[in-house]
Amino acid sequence: MKMENMSLSGLDNTKLEALAQDIYSDLVEDACLGLCFEVHRAVKQGYFFLDDTDQESMKDFEIVDQPGVDIFGQVYNQWKNKECVCPNCNRSIAASRFAPHLEKCLGMGRNSSRIANRRIASSNNTNNKSESDQEDNDDVNDNDWSYGSEKKAKKRKSDKNPNSPRRSKSLKHKNGELSSSVNTDPYKYNYNTGINYETLGPDELRSLLTTQCGVISEHTKKMCTRSQRCPQHTDQQRRAVRVFLLGLSATSLPDSNTAVESDGYDASDGQVLMSRLQWDGSSDISPSDSASSKASTNNSDSKKPKKKKKTSLNSTGGGGGGSGSVGGSSSQGCLAGQANRKKPKLPVPPAPSIYDNLN
Amino acid sequence: LISKRKPQLLPAGCSHVNAYKVDNWRPNLRVIYQCFVWSGSAETRRRKAKSCICHMCGAHLNRLHSCLYCVFFGCFTKKHIHEHAKNKRHNLAIDLLYGGIYCFVCQDYIYDKDMEQIAKEEQRKAWKLQGVGEKYSTWEPTKRELDLLRHNPKRRKMTTNCTIGLRGLINLGNTCFMNCIVQALTHTPLLRDFFLSDRHKCEMQSNSCLVCEMSQLFQEFYSGHRSPHIPFRLLHLVWTHARHLAGYEQQDAHEFLIAALDVLHRHCKGDTTNDNGKKANNPNHCNCIIDQIFTGGLQSDVTCQVCHGVSTTIDPFWDISLDLPGSSTPFWPLSPGGDGGTVNGESHLSGATTLTDCLRRFTRPEHLGSSAKIKCGGCHSYQESTKQLTMKKLPIVACFHLKRFEHSAKLRRKITTYVSFPLELDMTPFMASRWASTNYLPPGLYVLVRYALFAVVNHQGTLESGHYTSFIRQHKDQWFKCDDAIITKASIKDVLDSEGYLLFYHKQFLEYE
Repeated sequence: MKMENMSLSGLDNTKLEALAQDIYSDLVEDACLGLCFEVHRAVKQGYFFLDDTDQESMKDFEIVDQPGVDIFGQVYNQWKNKECVCPNCNRSIAASRFAPHLEKCLGMGRNSSRIANRRIASSNNTNNKSESDQEDNDDVNDNDWSYGSEKKAKKRKSDKNPNSPRRSKSLKHKNGELSSSVNTDPYKYNYNTGINYETLGPDELRSLLTTQCGVISEHTKKMCTRSQRCPQHTDQQRRAVRVFLLGLSATSLPDSNTAVESDGYDASDGQVLMSRLQWDGSSDISPSDSASSKASTNNSDSKKPKKKKKTSLNSTGGGGGGSGSVGGSSSQGCLAGQANRKKPKLPVPPAPSIYDNLN
Repeated sequence: LISKRKPQLLPAGCSHVNAYKVDNWRPNLRVIYQCFVWSGSAETRRRKAKSCICHMCGAHLNRLHSCLYCVFFGCFTKKHIHEHAKNKRHNLAIDLLYGGIYCFVCQDYIYDKDMEQIAKEEQRKAWKLQGVGEKYSTWEPTKRELDLLRHNPKRRKMTTNCTIGLRGLINLGNTCFMNCIVQALTHTPLLRDFFLSDRHKCEMQSNSCLVCEMSQLFQEFYSGHRSPHIPFRLLHLVWTHARHLAGYEQQDAHEFLIAALDVLHRHCKGDTTNDNGKKANNPNHCNCIIDQIFTGGLQSDVTCQVCHGVSTTIDPFWDISLDLPGSSTPFWPLSPGGDGGTVNGESHLSGATTLTDCLRRFTRPEHLGSSAKIKCGGCHSYQESTKQLTMKKLPIVACFHLKRFEHSAKLRRKITTYVSFPLELDMTPFMASRWASTNYLPPGLYVLVRYALFAVVNHQGTLESGHYTSFIRQHKDQWFKCDDAIITKASIKDVLDSEGYLLFYHKQFLEYE
């Protein structure tokens, strides 16, 4: 089959077809040969196996497409307890509060100098810590911070949404005056409220522990009356106190991974509890409620299935949309300064004598 | 007894080539590749066609091989080359189609590193001559990498149904604007490839290199971790290096994007391939990855209305900010019919405004008016003029910023006009005059200005309070919604129906320079 110059004009259709067919099959064969070489080389060079994967672990990374969970199969809104270490001051900060913290820490916020001066001016008594943190909260949640647009001018206080959380927060500082749903100082709250478990019988304890947190405060020796999802205490602490009070057959807590709308205390629980325990004084609503808008509407809002950050009542506005659910973020913020919050240890079971009393 | 030794790999090369690799073997081998294997020009192709035939049967196919030791062509299929090898004891031959070296002693094709080096170089030269340019070649592991991989059999491959590469981001307190930009950047294909192939060589003394942090971010996204990442270090670094961003001012996603690109660009000094170190800060001369990907050139032509002289400037850009109908500046030049577009309030267009409409408006010639006369170099006096913006150089990633936040002296509001944007965008009509559609573009060149959408940042809510979310594209046609810590699957319809604030487009075809 020698190579020769050939004119195509003299050929009829069948000949042309045959030529085309020849060329085509040659090309296909060449292509196949090329693939063979590729594989041959891969095997010889030793990288043919690279395509092999571990099927088992691959399954772990399959995308999930179900309602209520993200692509990893995780439920929404379970990331409230994330913390990070500030690169500037090396303190451990709740992740959802890191930005406002950093703003102050780097001395960049509008109010940074004001706060700094205030701190210097005030005396070093112990109560100062929580108060100044509350003020920080106030400043931090100032609407100036929360702008997400290209605005140049500062928003005046008068422009504030009268329903905005800032209004209700400022109520906090009025001495002694409490709205029905606003809690003043969570720090003070711990001293004044809570249930003394020693006065309760095992049945009462058991029913109590099905509806509320119950973790015993080391300071007051009283049980926490917040809901079972109260952010101040961990599930581990709750489990421990149930074991301690009810013995090893204590009922388990509800799954903490279920999607929760509000991190805070539900008002309805408070009503029930109050009637049962003839609780007097401020309600047991957590600081999270006070941080979000007006009392009654807020509570119902917190139960909405939609995420809070999309509503205009959200305390965090502007470019940010809030950090997780409103309840969680604010309560974390309020409690950030508290010693209780940072305690990693479980409450230590009291001396055997008290335990014997219960039995 | 089971041997614990790893199975021995047969060497890819062989010792029989050593007899060949003497004296002038390299140039000899090059000639063989140039003339008989990779034909760079039409002439060499013709020569190959004419001279490369089997010396025994005259065939020019049948897997023709050339002897490496002498001028002999023999076909493989009929074993004519084998006969020659046996008779002359020439034990090496080369396949003229793919350039593989066959060793008759080993009776197999062998891969010698030095010889392959020559083969690759000659192939590249041929491609260049053919006008093909550089061709993409897949990654091949080194011996060390192979070893590592063999010791770690629990490998994961990124298939289309894989979550690796996706990760949520914790909101640090109104930082959803930052999270959206991070999602867009980590899903910019070229940027991803740059960082995952470890291209950043840091020259900063301190720990505050944002490019390093970016690199770390990619590691986090591809780590396989499912819990959302906490980008606190990133925030800290950006605020440290872009003070104007910090605090209460300007928590705008677009502002953050520009500031982040700027800091990254400044910190990329070590990676510029340009030897002129001092020019690192000049976007026109810097060749860092940020500039390579994001920097485009915007041409501004000012035409004097009297002498028609044109003054041209070209400015670099990282994004194109587009006015929208419903803002206080008129969208359409007042023209009869159809394109109503009132100054305030909703657009009365019959169809929705499209991104193309916005771009058309952006690149329209604009009369600057009698109050804005320019000094004309030709007329030596102030004259009225028209100005027109066009794209001189298209960036690989084009970011369009829809100007939804309006704040003039009296007016502060968000423009929520729906703007429809396409999945694929053709930038030809907006190119500078030399490219204009008035010139005939050969069909192949047309694809060079085609762009594909890969990320969308949206803002929900009002000027005062709102939330940013983003959509990003993964694996060609999969889209995901990124809402801070929550990543969910999204449909293309979800993406295209969304309001759109920042739109990221990626060039579909890249050419080597």
